[in-house]
Amino acid sequence: MPAGVFKETYEGDMAFIRYPIHKAALVLAVIAGLSAPLLLDTYYLNLAITALIFWVAVIGLNITVGLAGQISLAQAALMGVGAYTVAFAALKLGVNVVLALPLAGITAMIIGLVLSLPSFKLKEYYLAMASLAAQLLLEYAFSRIDPDQYTPIPPEAKRLASIDLNEPEALYYFTFIVAALMALAAGNIARSSYGRAMKAVRDNDVAASIVGVNVPLTKAIAFGIGGFYAGIAGGLYAIYSVGIGWEAFTLVNSIELLGMVLIGGPGRVVWGSLLGVLVLRTGWTLLESNLVPILAAMGFSAFASAIKYIVLGTLITVVIILEPEGLIAVLRRVKEYFRLWPYSY
Amino acid sequence: MALEAVDVETWSNLIFQGVLLGILYSLIAMGYNLVYRANKSINFAVPQVVLLAAYTALITATATGRLEVALASAIIVSVAVSMAIERGVARPLLGRPPIALIGATLGVFYALKGVVLVVGGSEVAVLPLDIDYYRLGALTVATNDLISLLGAIPVLAGVVLLHRKTSFGAAMRAVAEDAEGAAAYGLPVRRLMLAGWALAGLVGGLGSILLAVKTQVSPDLEYYAIRALAASLIAGLDSLGGVLLGGIVLGLAEQLASKFLDPYLPGIGSDIAFLLLLLILFVKPYGFFGSERIERV
Repeated sequence: MPAGVFKETYEGDMAFIRYPIHKAALVLAVIAGLSAPLLLDTYYLNLAITALIFWVAVIGLNITVGLAGQISLAQAALMGVGAYTVAFAALKLGVNVVLALPLAGITAMIIGLVLSLPSFKLKEYYLAMASLAAQLLLEYAFSRIDPDQYTPIPPEAKRLASIDLNEPEALYYFTFIVAALMALAAGNIARSSYGRAMKAVRDNDVAASIVGVNVPLTKAIAFGIGGFYAGIAGGLYAIYSVGIGWEAFTLVNSIELLGMVLIGGPGRVVWGSLLGVLVLRTGWTLLESNLVPILAAMGFSAFASAIKYIVLGTLITVVIILEPEGLIAVLRRVKEYFRLWPYSY
Repeated sequence: MALEAVDVETWSNLIFQGVLLGILYSLIAMGYNLVYRANKSINFAVPQVVLLAAYTALITATATGRLEVALASAIIVSVAVSMAIERGVARPLLGRPPIALIGATLGVFYALKGVVLVVGGSEVAVLPLDIDYYRLGALTVATNDLISLLGAIPVLAGVVLLHRKTSFGAAMRAVAEDAEGAAAYGLPVRRLMLAGWALAGLVGGLGSILLAVKTQVSPDLEYYAIRALAASLIAGLDSLGGVLLGGIVLGLAEQLASKFLDPYLPGIGSDIAFLLLLLILFVKPYGFFGSERIERV
């Protein structure tokens, strides 16, 4: 019996499903995803929908940051671009939100391509600051097009053929299918020639250009794909919401998204991103709903709004310091421990 | 508003306010540059440290009614937090790629945002100070303008002189140039890095309270500090004297934009810095005075 899984062909090494754990995770995820509406009530179902939406956005950012190594602090603003595209298409033009969704992705992708322009010349801190500047400029643009911080999404536009997307179950399945397709595409992008070019650029862009990788094109593709994912996520967010305001797409949200990438596992596009969202968004919401009443009962209600920032900020910092590859590396160590048990050497 | 209505007095006051704001920007920008020179990283947590220092100053000022106590407390908080970030975050991350440092200091940014909410909420207040107005030719100068000007310039000059003329400054420059080489010459590299961050905390704390004196204590100070980062990048991250120019360029641009562009784009004044930054980085990717990095493979 071999002491592990060994790949004997190049195809095997490049396959979409490489290890038994991938197969198990995929089956479990699909079963859990499909059965969720049967098991969860509306509150938890909404939580699951937001988790799926943010999963899409974080996958996009993970492609830009984790795969291609291009730091972006503008992902939340790109989500906002997608959300406002859907909102205005539905509100002003009366377009169905499902039809507007690809449009949202494409609009955000175009903005993402514009954001890739600084990355041709800039690296690291300068690039981070350039994207931060873009984030704040986009926030300014949002404040101009949506001065009231509230743009309603007409409920009658939320239809897919005869299915009413105002129903939580229908919306959940719709979001699940879109997110699953996006995740599938991301997994394939990561192992395609573009994905490998991105990894080469991330590890050393000068060396990558010497072996013939078109570095500016690769960076542009990474930003474009990241923008497309953000736009789709923003569009889904608009479909999910009764109305949107740009306070959901500010710098702090961008930091949260980057935190999800870095905590979950930079470069681990599908599962790492999911882990990041589940910890920072879903996990925190669940914890908060239990924590805040306790804090209020103890007389610390002033801390209730601040505790989120303190806990999550500390968590992001500590995980980055202790676990460069993100929490998914911890999961892998747990798995290895049990696989090798009782002989852990 | 018609353009011809702009006369000498308006212009000179506009430019004076722009330069003053620019000097305050460069004070905070210098904090970023000192950290970058100490261990090649940007402390993205500075905006919240500035806010924390300002709220501490507000609390002590309202408790004691004395501005110098407020100043001292703000600087102490800023230096302490800055040193804590160096020890707790930047040092364990030495040698890791920049994304780790960016992520980790943004995590600190996020955590400190919570601390600021606990300490100050989102209160808006002015520091207790009697403001008189003086006329100098066409200029109208207020007491708080004078305080910020007289507080900022000696410190800016002092830090630059410290860096250029003293042996301590030479040691800091050596560490900035090549930390391993400096260690081989027996320089206490870690202590010098800590000193760089402490110095950054000092100018940041001072910048924070002078900004609070000039404007007011409000959550907006966070954005002033982010704009100061733009000033620091316009100057070039590893240039110390250049921040003065970067800050003044931004300060003037902000004043001019809020004067002339505001009718067309309301509120653009506070965001013009980022547009300017993007444009300048396209032309000069390492800022005006930053040294270009030559990469080897």
